[in-house]
Amino acid sequence: MIFLFVLTLLQIKVPDAQTVVGPPKGLPIAGAQLDQRTNEVASLLRCPVCQGLSVADSPSTVAQDMKQQVRELLARGYTQEQILSYFEHSYGQFVLQKPKFQGVAALVWLLPIAALIFGAIVVFSKAKQLEQGPAAVPDAEPQPVDPYIARVREMVEKS
Amino acid sequence: MNRIVLISGIVIAAALVVVLFVGLGKDPSAIDSPLIGKPAPAFALKAVGSGQTVDVARLRGKPAIINFWATWCGPCYQEHPTLVQNARVLGNDVQFVGIVFNDTEQKIQAFLAERGSAYPTLLDDSGKTAIAYGVGGVPETFFLDRSGKIVAKYSGPLTTEELQANLAKAMK
Repeated sequence: MIFLFVLTLLQIKVPDAQTVVGPPKGLPIAGAQLDQRTNEVASLLRCPVCQGLSVADSPSTVAQDMKQQVRELLARGYTQEQILSYFEHSYGQFVLQKPKFQGVAALVWLLPIAALIFGAIVVFSKAKQLEQGPAAVPDAEPQPVDPYIARVREMVEKS
Repeated sequence: MNRIVLISGIVIAAALVVVLFVGLGKDPSAIDSPLIGKPAPAFALKAVGSGQTVDVARLRGKPAIINFWATWCGPCYQEHPTLVQNARVLGNDVQFVGIVFNDTEQKIQAFLAERGSAYPTLLDDSGKTAIAYGVGGVPETFFLDRSGKIVAKYSGPLTTEELQANLAKAMK
């Protein structure tokens, strides 16, 4: 209790999501639903001090603070989209585990699809070539007839 | 067909080399702040020790330096003398503010008593102010111009040269 009182005295005004993303667009949630949604939304945010960990998975204090703020915002009725926008406003797209489909980040989505299409074209055209059989060899110059072979053929035909 | 495959391979490999060259040349801890060019997020926190309230709105009128740090952060020990020294020299023209997060008032007071202090140090116990500024690791320093707009962010321990180079942007 004393701790909370000291905390209130020390923190008169902290930045609020309302100034960035406006009032909550959803309904306040609580209990088990709040726990579940906190984990879901926190897993969409990247921990800024970790290597490849989400805010939901990281034990770092920064990630814990971020997770706590996600929880508070969900409890007040902020939507997932609003919460992600709020964190993106401070940290940039870096903080989003799933990059947005815009600007250079769109390449992250487009390049694998382009690579798949290109690969499919290569495989398809190769398969078609194999189906058609080996390419016809242009007529070579008539080979000189070996007199021995010619004689054997002649004998075979006669017999 | 083989020529097309070869050319495509060369183009993809060249693109990868360029991306790796540019990416590996960057400092992985230096993340561009989307807040640059925007007004500094609002806060009003009480100063450790004096109890005086510092509101970001009151920093307007002079260039300001907001330094996020903590007593558990090794590079912050290295940076502290630079900030104190510069604050003593530039104190009339530039406002310095320290914001400490994930820390206790007792530890901060002990740190400042031992290593000196020349400007208000505020405690952001919930970490919300640090989050609003997009702080990842400490130390991180934000440079504000006279209108309260963020003009630069520096990640890592500041030297006097880096402090003054970034401050020059705020003085314009």
